[in-house]
Amino acid sequence: MLPALRPPPSAASAVPYTYCSPPRAVPARPKYRAPLEADEPQKEPARWANLMYDRRVVRGNTYARQAVPTCIHHPNAFEIQRRREARRKALARKRAEEQIQLRTPEPVEGREHVHVQTELYLEEISDRIIEVDVECQTDAFLDRPPTPFFVPAKTGRDVATQIEEGELFDFDIEVKPILEVLVGKTIEQALLEVMEEEELAKLLAHQRAYAELRNAELAEVQRLEEQDRRYREEKERCKQQQMEMLQKEKETMEKIAAQAFAKRYLTDLIPSVFNNLHESGFFYDPIERDIETEFLPWLMTEVEETLEKKTLGRVMLDSLIRTVTEKRLDVFSQKPLPDQVEAPAEEHRPTDNAPQVAAETEAADQAVTADEETDQPAAEDQASHHITFQSEEANQEAMEDSETD
Amino acid sequence: MASTLISAKLPPDVDPTKAPIAFGRRALPKLSREIQSPELLTQQRALMALCDLVHDPENVYQAVQIGFLENLKTLLLHHDSTVRQKTTEILYIMAMHNVGRQGLIQNAVIPVLTELLDDPEDICRKNTHQVLDMMAKLPEGAVDILHAGLIPLLVVRLKTESDEIQELILGTLSNCLRMEASEALATDAITILKEKLTHPSATIRNKAAQVILEIGTHPEGKSTVCEEVIPLLVSLLEDTDPEVQASAAGALMFATIKPKGRCLALRAEAIPRLLKLVAVENSKARLSAIKTLTMLAEVAEGRRKLLERTDIFQQCLRDPSEAVKRAAEIAIRVIRWKPF
Repeated sequence: MLPALRPPPSAASAVPYTYCSPPRAVPARPKYRAPLEADEPQKEPARWANLMYDRRVVRGNTYARQAVPTCIHHPNAFEIQRRREARRKALARKRAEEQIQLRTPEPVEGREHVHVQTELYLEEISDRIIEVDVECQTDAFLDRPPTPFFVPAKTGRDVATQIEEGELFDFDIEVKPILEVLVGKTIEQALLEVMEEEELAKLLAHQRAYAELRNAELAEVQRLEEQDRRYREEKERCKQQQMEMLQKEKETMEKIAAQAFAKRYLTDLIPSVFNNLHESGFFYDPIERDIETEFLPWLMTEVEETLEKKTLGRVMLDSLIRTVTEKRLDVFSQKPLPDQVEAPAEEHRPTDNAPQVAAETEAADQAVTADEETDQPAAEDQASHHITFQSEEANQEAMEDSETD
Repeated sequence: MASTLISAKLPPDVDPTKAPIAFGRRALPKLSREIQSPELLTQQRALMALCDLVHDPENVYQAVQIGFLENLKTLLLHHDSTVRQKTTEILYIMAMHNVGRQGLIQNAVIPVLTELLDDPEDICRKNTHQVLDMMAKLPEGAVDILHAGLIPLLVVRLKTESDEIQELILGTLSNCLRMEASEALATDAITILKEKLTHPSATIRNKAAQVILEIGTHPEGKSTVCEEVIPLLVSLLEDTDPEVQASAAGALMFATIKPKGRCLALRAEAIPRLLKLVAVENSKARLSAIKTLTMLAEVAEGRRKLLERTDIFQQCLRDPSEAVKRAAEIAIRVIRWKPF
């Protein structure tokens, strides 16, 4: 950076002295440049280094430049950079020279032309102090050189050995177990996977077979149960039917027995009933009944009447006889006769047998008339009885009556 | 501070989605800790690593021992779908092994799985159903599922889910209903199963027929099956897929135990088709067909028809399968039985 022109000294009196670049303490230069990845230059706390120990400050006398020892054949980077700059300038100069067409002769074999600037070695003596503006530019930062590989110092003895083939191990034998393990594990894994599925499939098949059998057996069991139930029901029903049948048989037998007994009991029923009825008079001959109910009572009443008549007659006769007898007694009291006693006795007797005596006495009288009326002998007897105590007229009247009757 | 990564390029066989696994016995405890970490990425990576580890049964055993299942239970209800999906996958792989199944039962994982039945993610639901399917194959697991009241939920989902999941549900149902059928009957499962019997996919028809078979083993199920499904089953006896035929014959086997079922089956002309099935290669189909014919031979009408065809049963007496031979003997005996 070229310095700016110095301000005119006229202005210096009013303005205090200013530096072009104010003096400042020079901060220590870091040995290495900032790392690449840094976004901005790190603001390190400025370390003020001692000027005396700053590398940028040239030590010693400035009037005699120190010979910088250069080794052309092993240049370091510093030198390389300087060389590069020098080469650039040289090229520029060369071009300028070429333009001027000034050529120096080519170097002799074995030698080379080296541009040497004698400026370094020249010194101009003058009062005027040579002022040279020197700009100092820090060198470009270099990469941190890689850590040198640390090789510890060798200790011990070097001993060499060589392993021949076949000494250490026999690969084929040794690799076997490893291979076995590897292959075995792989196959095991594969087998596991396959077996898992196969196991499942087998289990399922087994289960299905078992289920088949089980179902078949269960069905058989249930069928037999059903059959058994049916048979049992059938048996029950049969038993029931049988019992009913027995019951019915018993009843029938009883019925038959009862029937036989009843029949036998009642065989006589009808005859006996009829007999009873007959005897109690339910069945009657109507003529007979008629005769019995009407004729005979009438007959009996007639007979009674007749008999009453006869009795009356006899009673009348008795009373007549009595009166007669009493009269005769009265009469005979004066003259008691045994004939009269016999006479009433005889008369009594005939009065008792009046109907018969009368019948006998009057038999001759009535023989003719009696024969004519045979159906009423009793009535005629009575009539004749009536006739006896009455007068003969009366008798005749009675006879006429009886005849008319 | 130096990191363990020496180079920026990872080794070629390392999966960056998985957590690095510690050596030997420490692998699972470390993963267990990582799973409980609050950071989502760690959890996911740990789950992916675990998913690979549980294919080994020893690891399953160790996982159950150190109480992994508690953590997994908590993770089942995580808000992130990947976590849930991986957790269900892990549970499925664990359930494939008996130790895992026992562990799942002891830690009562099934009630928690109930929550996942409605998961919005298809994969989660599919894995859940796979777990349930595996668990149902174990009797205690089936009992567990019954106690958790899952049957009505599963029956409802039969209508809505996709085909794959339907197959899984049908498998689960068939194993669970072997224990007890009342819940399924209460939710009217038979109607839904009737639809499935006519589904285009053969697997679904097969499994639906199996579910009906299991329902028919119970007395109350038999009456329901008798009333509604027998004609369909008889028509399925002529299905194109042999498995479906076998399952239909099995279901008929149980449905014809009751006299009412027998009459219905006879009326639906089951005998000729069953006789055809007796000559088929599938031993299950043969066995079921012979058994069903035995049932039908209990009825006089069936006996009459079958007396003419006893030659087929004579052939079966020389069958390679022991069970078929026995069944053929019983069938001949029943056919020749006379009431007097």
